[in-house]
Amino acid sequence: MPESLSASGAHDEAEELLPWYATGQLDAAERVRVEAHLSSCADCRRQLTSERRLIQEFRDLAPEVDAGWDRLRRRIEPQRPGRYRPRLRGRAWNVVRHPAITALAAAQVGFLVLTGGLLLSLSRPDYHALGSTPASSSADVIVIFRADATEEDVRATLRAANASIVGGPTEADAYLLQIPRQQRKQGLARLRADDEVQMAEPIDEASR
Amino acid sequence: MGAQNDKELLARVSARDLQAFERLYRSFQPRLVRFLTNILQRPQLVEEVIDDTMMVVWQSADKFRGSSKPSTWIFSIAYRKALKARARWPDPLPDDETDMQVSTDPEPDEQLQHQRLRDALREAMTHLSPEHRAVVDLTYFHGMGYREIADIVDCPVDTVKTRMFHARRRLKQALAGNFADWL
Repeated sequence: MPESLSASGAHDEAEELLPWYATGQLDAAERVRVEAHLSSCADCRRQLTSERRLIQEFRDLAPEVDAGWDRLRRRIEPQRPGRYRPRLRGRAWNVVRHPAITALAAAQVGFLVLTGGLLLSLSRPDYHALGSTPASSSADVIVIFRADATEEDVRATLRAANASIVGGPTEADAYLLQIPRQQRKQGLARLRADDEVQMAEPIDEASR
Repeated sequence: MGAQNDKELLARVSARDLQAFERLYRSFQPRLVRFLTNILQRPQLVEEVIDDTMMVVWQSADKFRGSSKPSTWIFSIAYRKALKARARWPDPLPDDETDMQVSTDPEPDEQLQHQRLRDALREAMTHLSPEHRAVVDLTYFHGMGYREIADIVDCPVDTVKTRMFHARRRLKQALAGNFADWL
């Protein structure tokens, strides 16, 4: 593969590396090469959009961790006399805490800056589009959920608004959402009306 | 949980600290469920392989050398165990996972379309080999780089890239008919 890779040029290399570009897993030199190619290749930009959508679809899981742990503990405890005290813990925030989504958020911000579509000032609630047209996969809405919102609350809110998380949490605990263009206005209204939402603001010009 | 925390937990596990092992288990079990479900596609086999994997971790934590991340080490154990388990059960069951999501959304067409997309994606994954599914899942869901994946599945990095390239093409081909707009 290395021979064909070097011979087939920047496009083939970028195309092959796109999944790891989208998840923020390339080293600096690779990232620079991919970004240089992306800036001039509409096909790869489209593919990057597809990659991000695939990643979004792949993120969901519902592990039954307590049942699994109880099962394994029963195998271990006979080996080890009883100083063990079980701990209780709430359900993990798998959707927004797992590494792919965190990396995706970082990569997303990097790509948006690259394309000049958005300058993400993460400390202020009102976003402004400062450059040219944002990438088609860019975030549409920035949202901050109430601190006591549960994972189920957030899921329900996102579903009701037909929104997907494409970035965050930012330092201000905000999330960047994508809502299909035709549902954006309605989705934004739903977010704003939702008790679990502290703040929801559009990002791009089109939804203002 | 970061790699450093995992290393500290592994050190405590090697001293037979069950609470540290529980923390490690709770950190890794959801990721392993996901990873192994994709490879094995049999819930009961997934449980068995997770238990076997974590038993190896429990019993062999003192053998972890620290040259790789703990996650790389644990996933590589799980991958090997999964391929062995698969060899014992070579024929995958039909995908019987169902999306139990109940829609309260007033736009059922959108929800339905989304559910159909996920079903199609799940179905498309079943047509990939376990080796390809592993690379797709480690990349898309677990957010791992291709070098770490190469360590886990014990193959050259170019093989990882090639598997991912072909898997993406197969997935997109499978979705191209009904979900061309989405792609």
